[in-house]
Amino acid sequence: MQVGLKVWRFNSRTGERELQEFEVSAPEEATLLDCLDIVKDQHDGTLAYRKSCRMMICGSCGMRMDGAAVLACKTRMYDVAQAGHVPVISAMGNLPIVKDLVVDMDPFWEKFRSVNPYLQPGYDEPPDGKEHLIRQDRMNAVHKEALCINCGCCVSECNAMESDPLFLGPQALAKGMRFVGDPRDGQKIARLEKLNGEHGIWECTRCYFCNERCPKGVDPRDAIAKLGAESMKEGIDRDMGAKHAKWFVTSAKTTGWLRETELVPKTQGVVSAIKQTRFALDLAVKGKVPPPFPPHVAKDVKESRRLHDLVRDRGRNGFDGIVQGEHALAMLAHAKGVGDETLEEIYERPGAYHRPYIDGEEIPAGSEGGMGSLTQADVTPGEKPTRKPEGGA
Amino acid sequence: MRKMAYYKGCLASLSAKELDSATQALAPKVGIELIELESVTCCGAGDIHEAEPDYYLHLNARILAYAAAQGVDTLLTVCNVCTLNLRQANFMLLGDTDLRARVNENLVSVGVPAYEVDVDVRHLLWEIAEGEGYELLKTAAHRGLKGLKIAPFYGCQILRPSKIQGFEDPDRPWSLERIIEACGGEAIDYPAKIKCCGFPIIQAREETALGELIQPIEQAYEAGADAIVTPCPLCHLSLDAWQSKLKKATGRDFKMPILHLSQLVGVAAGLEESELKFKRHVVSVKPVLEKLEI
Repeated sequence: MQVGLKVWRFNSRTGERELQEFEVSAPEEATLLDCLDIVKDQHDGTLAYRKSCRMMICGSCGMRMDGAAVLACKTRMYDVAQAGHVPVISAMGNLPIVKDLVVDMDPFWEKFRSVNPYLQPGYDEPPDGKEHLIRQDRMNAVHKEALCINCGCCVSECNAMESDPLFLGPQALAKGMRFVGDPRDGQKIARLEKLNGEHGIWECTRCYFCNERCPKGVDPRDAIAKLGAESMKEGIDRDMGAKHAKWFVTSAKTTGWLRETELVPKTQGVVSAIKQTRFALDLAVKGKVPPPFPPHVAKDVKESRRLHDLVRDRGRNGFDGIVQGEHALAMLAHAKGVGDETLEEIYERPGAYHRPYIDGEEIPAGSEGGMGSLTQADVTPGEKPTRKPEGGA
Repeated sequence: MRKMAYYKGCLASLSAKELDSATQALAPKVGIELIELESVTCCGAGDIHEAEPDYYLHLNARILAYAAAQGVDTLLTVCNVCTLNLRQANFMLLGDTDLRARVNENLVSVGVPAYEVDVDVRHLLWEIAEGEGYELLKTAAHRGLKGLKIAPFYGCQILRPSKIQGFEDPDRPWSLERIIEACGGEAIDYPAKIKCCGFPIIQAREETALGELIQPIEQAYEAGADAIVTPCPLCHLSLDAWQSKLKKATGRDFKMPILHLSQLVGVAAGLEESELKFKRHVVSVKPVLEKLEI
């Protein structure tokens, strides 16, 4: 098959960038990585990209296709070529580009190291001198996190990190959960304290790009939620993000609906809330600050309160409360009963999204190019870096 | 008319009442009869999922149970975050009989009906972007939008995680564009339309949130948009109310009007100000209404 590629070339010494187009002849089973190998072998030997295992284990070949981070070795090109689409290939986001598709991973490894990504044993030696046996269900709690291959696809797309490059980010935090949830580790509380820092779990903006992009099913956002739940269970709840989350629990069990007006003082403290008075007044004029009295109370809210007390006493608290749903959610990503289904039925499966360009259906303007944009070729890679507004808020 | 249980969520009940009234007025025009749920609470907005996950599951199971008790097969939402929280809990329960049995036992013990008959959680966006809802929408939007340039802003949780939401390709969504065009507007294209508005951390990490918020507003502004439309009241709140903080932080005053999805379709369908309640917005919608000669 013939595969067209538009590749962003970049030279960090000169700052020169250029979108270069290639067309290669490749076997039908070729991946993006295979196609890049053909480019380098037959068309332009100066193209730079990382690779090693070619089988989704080493995590070297993370890059962007049409603005979305992928492992090049996992991305088959057949459908793209058949559709006549010429994708834009660029380096991952949120990391400095060294050359072409190669990024500097140092900031990534620095965050990775900062969560002490190794076991800190906290158990006594078994009295009989034999090995420690750990129940399977205890290890299931970190099964997904342990799948991480450190490729950086999640970090590439992290919206919070685009705004604050110091944010620890999805990879380091998921790795943090891998050890917080490990029953053999003896430093759980110290780890949780550290991960509750300024650039820790409460800076996650819940954009879910990490879950979407991870090629290994780690679901870093869910790992971050597990860390939040475990922090709360252990009483580590000083951060504004933790207070914000706790206020939702208080609201749900007292009035049923979010007590919006009290959310700011409960999250930021009274002093900070008073500093925001002017802002709050502007919103109040528009009815955006509902008066807290009389409270807006849901019917039968006592059921909600009794449920809360019941679950607190008998439920699965901390990260176990999230782990218990993973089995059912995992089925969404896996095909059940494949074989007799039509293509339409496959796309009707729970969790299957509408395929673009199906059956010559009308395609609304602006929904063709990937990452939501027709103009992806012009905006990659980061012509306008996105950062906090100057001067802060 | 298709009967659906209607879950308003916190914002449409309180600070974004305009979303509720516009939705209630619009629904019959697109063939939907709303049955409002009374005995329901907040879905937890992702916060209870993070703070007390088992309570989150029970709260959402309770909402699903009350929807099922209405004898309908669809629970309609008007918020990205409600949609994700409810769908996630729903899939947890539908895919695990032991878990569902435990949760049901707890529900019954506090006087809530068990969640026995399955319901599907659907956002209004999906109901009017295709099928019967879309056909009716094309007829209902008789007043049109006179070619106004509208920037679609999806927000995160209507698109991702796609294995839970699953309506459309999360990187090439088309539903808002299709609705804008059906209403007689011109859909503006810009990269940040599928990114985060910063709302979940706008209180705990305001600076980081503003760095996210500025992207869609600035890009839509530079693309010449008359307004942004969003299917999520949380996105609406940050895009609309926090624009003044962007002005303070950057010195740039975008004055970008932000419309709820129900309002955009509603204005094209000829709904009145008493139903659309544009006066409740922080950034004035007047320039849009003037172009539409309303």
